[in-house]
Formats: sequence, C-alpha cells, structure tokens
Amino acid sequence: MKALIIILQICILYIFTFIGTVIHTYFHLIIPGSIIGLLLLFICLCLKIIPVKYIENGAGFLLSILMLFFIPKTVGIMNYPSLLSIHGVLFVAAVLLSTIITIAIAGIAGQFLEKRGQKGGDDKECSRFSSHSA
Amino acid sequence: MQQILFPFSMILLTVAAYFLMTKLYKRFSYPFLIPILTATTLIIVFLLVFHIPYNSYMMGGQWINSLLGPSVVALAYPLYKQRHFLMNHLVPILGGVLIAAVSGMVSVGLLAKLLDINHTLILSIIPKSLTTPVAIEVAGELGGNASMTIVGVMIAGIFGSIAAPSIFKFLRVHSPIGRGIALGSASHAIGTSKAAEYSELTFSMSSVTMTLCAIIGSFLGPIVVWLIQI
Repeated sequence: MKALIIILQICILYIFTFIGTVIHTYFHLIIPGSIIGLLLLFICLCLKIIPVKYIENGAGFLLSILMLFFIPKTVGIMNYPSLLSIHGVLFVAAVLLSTIITIAIAGIAGQFLEKRGQKGGDDKECSRFSSHSA
Repeated sequence: MQQILFPFSMILLTVAAYFLMTKLYKRFSYPFLIPILTATTLIIVFLLVFHIPYNSYMMGGQWINSLLGPSVVALAYPLYKQRHFLMNHLVPILGGVLIAAVSGMVSVGLLAKLLDINHTLILSIIPKSLTTPVAIEVAGELGGNASMTIVGVMIAGIFGSIAAPSIFKFLRVHSPIGRGIALGSASHAIGTSKAAEYSELTFSMSSVTMTLCAIIGSFLGPIVVWLIQI
C-alpha cells in the first residue's frame, strides 16, 4: 500500500516535470524544465492548491535515494579517459580553487548580511532532508 | 526477449551496485567511499571486463536517469517545509545566495579560461557548485558534458566540506548563517551534511541555500557563460 502511494506521488512529480518541460520548449526558456517544475510545485504548495501530503512520501523517497539517479550519467566518464591527462589536472585545479574562493566570499558575505539585517528572529524550524544525497 | 532482458539487467546492475556501496559506506564512513564514487567505479570495471560499451549500458541506464527530473521537482518539498525559516532570514539568505552563486560560477569560469581548459570542459564545470541533479540539467542546457559536470560537482562537494573549517578559522567566519550559506552554496548536499555537525541553524541555512542556489544558478549559468566568453 505504501509502495503504491509512493509510486502515485512520483507520478504527480512527473506531471510537474512534464509541464515544466513543455513550458521550457514552448517559450524557449534558458532555465531547465525541471527547475520550472520545482518552482510551479513550490507555488502550488504555498497556495495550498496541492496539499503537501499528496507529494511528501514520493518526494521524500526520491530524495533519499537521489544518488542512484546520477550513476548512469557518471558511468559516462568511461568515454573520457582524457580526464587522466594534464587537462584533467587543470580541471581539478580550477574546481578546487574556485571552491575555496566561493566558501570564502559566501562565508564573509553571509556573516556581514546577518550582522546588518539582524531582526532577532531565532526560528529554528528544520527538516533533515537530503542531507546525505549530493 | 534479449532486447528486454539486457536493459533490465543493466538496471539491476546499477541498483545492486548502489545499494551494496551504500551499505559499505554506512559501515565505513570515509569521504572517498561515497556510493556515487564506488558504485560508478564498480560498474565501469564490470562494463570494461565484459566489453559492454557505454551506449549499450545506457539502454537500461536511461530509465534510471529519467528519474532525475522528478527528483529536481521533489526539491520543492524540503524548501516548502522551510519556508518560515526562509522568510525569517530573507535578506541574509537571498543576498548571500546571490553573491555566492555569482562568485562560484564566475570564479570557476575565469580560472578555467586562465588555465586554458577546452571549451566544452569550461561549460561543464560552470554549474559545479549546484546540487548534482540540477547541475546535470544546467550543463546540458549550456552544452557541457554531464559526466564531467558530475566529477566537478563531487570534487567541489568533498573538498569543500574538508576545507571549509580551516577557511572559516582563517577568515574568522563564526556566524552560523555565514557558515551555512558558504557550505550550501559551494558544496551543496555534501556541504550540508557537514553543516549538520555545526548546529541546527547552520544545517537549515545550508539546506535552504543549496536549493535556492540551484534555482538561481540555473538562471545565472547562461548569463555567466555569455559574460566571460566576450
């Protein structure tokens, strides 16, 4: 029964992906269809057009095994042995340096904005979703 | 019969490798044992040993791949659950995410250009600080190569969560909001699980940042490419 609910809810998520993709192709947008679907679903949830219980099990399930879905694309690396050459080393170097720069700038900017815009709200509502997926 | 059986066995191979390696990772939690790395290696070795080309593997693999779209849409759910948190910290989050997303994309693009990396590879690493499913889609939109994008995303995630504590110490970033934004925007989900080690607030911040960064990043990607190509 639970499996059936999850499958049905994934179908709802599929419908949103499909609508997003249609909008993407029809209006020639640069944003991927699935992101349009994400925004639409978020709006529908906020406006209570779709109650959260219609998607929570399916969404939770997909996000808990998210990493599985990248594997087929990642296996595609086998067609690019050039990654083990000098180009690969430069590629890794660019990513490493940029990651350091991003963490530094984002950390300082976030801390600065927090101090400026302190309004005193210490809401700590949290959910522990997607913490183990990449 | 063969036509159904072969793709199906490739799906089975992928799912089995994933669950096996997830189990291994749960027992020994070293960062280099993350399932995406180990499961991929296992499958590549299997395909090479049995002389199966990637295109044949994808006859089964594409079915798993087609779940990426709904998974991106599913990110609306955690974002919805944290909407009050988001509203309470709207200015630092939006400002921080915007600055972080721009600096992540522009810095990697400029560095790649400086190091004279070839064009397709540059397009592939532009979305490297977005969460993987979105990075794959954005790379496809930009004309990059999704496999290389995933490599970039994984390196950014693993390295970022290892390097972040020293960077925070060096630059005296002590605020949970600053740390959360930095981890979520540079190292996506891997950074977010690192953020959980600091505090609840850092974790929520990182998780919200990761999703917003993915959304903003998909708008910014084409603009950044256009800017640095001039």
